Amino acid sequence: MGVQTVNTVLGPVPAQELGVVAVHEALLSVLPGAELAFDVTMDRAEIFEILAGKLADFREHGGGTIVDSTGMFHGRDVRLYETLSRATGVHIVASTGQGPEDLLGGYFLTPQTDPPTPWPAEKFADLFAKEVTEGMVVPRVERRGAAGLVATAATRAGMTATDESLFRGAARAALSTGVPVSIRYGHDAVHDLEIVLDEGLPAGRVVVGGLDREDAVAAGAPLAVAARGAYAALDHVGTEDDGHVTDAERAALVAELIEAGHGDRVLLSSSATGVAKGHPGTEVSYSHVLTAFVPLLKERGVGDEDVRRILVDNPRDLLPVR
Amino acid sequence: MSRVNTVLGPIPTKELGLVAVHEHIGYGMPGSELDTKWWKTPEERYEETVPKLRRFHEYGGGTFVDATGICNGRDVDYYRMLSAKTGVHIVASTGFVGGDTALPFFARASVDYLTEHFIHEITVGIGGTGGRAGVIKVGVSRGGRMTDLDKRIYRAAARAALATGAPVLTHLAIDAENAIAIFTAEGLPLDRVLFGHVDDGVNADRTRDTWIAEQGGRIGFDTFGYETELEDPPFWARPRQERLDHFLRLIRQGHLDRVLASADANCSPLGWPGVKGHTVNYIFEDLIPDLRAAGLDEATITTIFVDNPADFLTLQH
Repeated sequence: MGVQTVNTVLGPVPAQELGVVAVHEALLSVLPGAELAFDVTMDRAEIFEILAGKLADFREHGGGTIVDSTGMFHGRDVRLYETLSRATGVHIVASTGQGPEDLLGGYFLTPQTDPPTPWPAEKFADLFAKEVTEGMVVPRVERRGAAGLVATAATRAGMTATDESLFRGAARAALSTGVPVSIRYGHDAVHDLEIVLDEGLPAGRVVVGGLDREDAVAAGAPLAVAARGAYAALDHVGTEDDGHVTDAERAALVAELIEAGHGDRVLLSSSATGVAKGHPGTEVSYSHVLTAFVPLLKERGVGDEDVRRILVDNPRDLLPVR
Repeated sequence: MSRVNTVLGPIPTKELGLVAVHEHIGYGMPGSELDTKWWKTPEERYEETVPKLRRFHEYGGGTFVDATGICNGRDVDYYRMLSAKTGVHIVASTGFVGGDTALPFFARASVDYLTEHFIHEITVGIGGTGGRAGVIKVGVSRGGRMTDLDKRIYRAAARAALATGAPVLTHLAIDAENAIAIFTAEGLPLDRVLFGHVDDGVNADRTRDTWIAEQGGRIGFDTFGYETELEDPPFWARPRQERLDHFLRLIRQGHLDRVLASADANCSPLGWPGVKGHTVNYIFEDLIPDLRAAGLDEATITTIFVDNPADFLTLQH
């Protein structure tokens, strides 16, 4: 077996070189359509400067790799990310995928057919897989770079039929290309995980995000997901609001997961929004896990070895193309 | 001063000439830009588009109204170039073909925000292009009934029409009771609204065209050329003679001043295969000869293609 590599926007990088990975973040995050709004400005130079500053801060605090988990239709700008990666030295992994249903364009939901049947899983699988094997689309211009993972999400109120097609399509694309899948669950984390596993995708190729939501913690979802063999991502570190547990509670949860023997299935990230257009975004720094949260983990008695495992080893195992 | 907004700036109404009132340079559902199966190079786009516009100009066509919504691949920089190089006036739309073609940012927006956006595109410009919209597009989502989002868009369009004097052009004229209720509640005279696609093969039977005309609305027979006689007709196709008879019937019933006609063709479709051989020039090559053969005189043809669109498109102040 040769060196395992991860698809970054600048090409394949040996997994050993990733360093500390923030596995669920957003660089440029644009609510679809906002780029067309009369009062939204898209100043590339300004966007670059803000993102470069945030990535430099991440690197200064020991960060190595940022995974942009926003998928193919939420502001992804491959060319900008290439320039950012070169300028800051931070590896950037970009994602394909879309979801949930209400973030899709009408092309996928009410196509010009009679009746207007929404896209099935197989078509999403093909759309996403080609972003890994042929390159990520710069709409109507070109393909650039290879997606490093497939990211999708389900509707909060519960997975819709089209969400299920997205999840199955994401799983099939992951199976055919070897990249991992990152899912944001809707109402029931384990249920939504089972959908992608039902496609035959090994649990070790799946990240379940949003497990630091209050409802997830109350339902015992983090432990259940890790026990199933998938990666449990507490990926809103730094966000303390009505919908999420606090950082102190997250630290306790990490300790609990390690105690239960799932230290090799925990991932941490902040879902920080580098630049948000058309929505409020999440104003947390990419370095928050390193600067603010790791000390909390240590207070909980989590050792250096476990911290390293969670921030470096786990993503190193997850992200390579298999 | 009587004027119409084109992508290159306002022009006097008198300069519109013959108008194709519901056309597309290129239409695609939002998201279709992600699917490379539809991509064409700029060279291919120009090759498909420029000769059609040039031919339109040579036939005596004056103005091409592009009814492509905000999220459907509308490309005003491109339209400006095409207009400048072919001599065809192009009128662009603000608004949406239907709620199901509005992207999430707009789908979540309030009526006030949508109104402000439409007004901005009509009075200030579309993005950074400098081109201003000349009509407001609204429409009914797939499924035959107006959704809540469709209704918000109609209401915003009515308010923007009142504020700017721009007209409203609809995709589909089904569920017209709901549409007219909104326009009436907002105080928009119905002669500022062109109820489009009354003639399409899917909905013609359940479109209350004469009722709309009696309320004062304008009637768009604007899918001329999508015929079942075509080799590979789209699902909204209709037998050629049946559509023509339908059109002539409305005119004979006394609604000549209310009718407009167009071909709804794509010069170069963006997110669907298009219909081979169907172009805006159907108006000159098939429709006008058919109308003459049916006995319409030149004055009537001028009313349909010149006078009615001029009344409709002129910004009201």
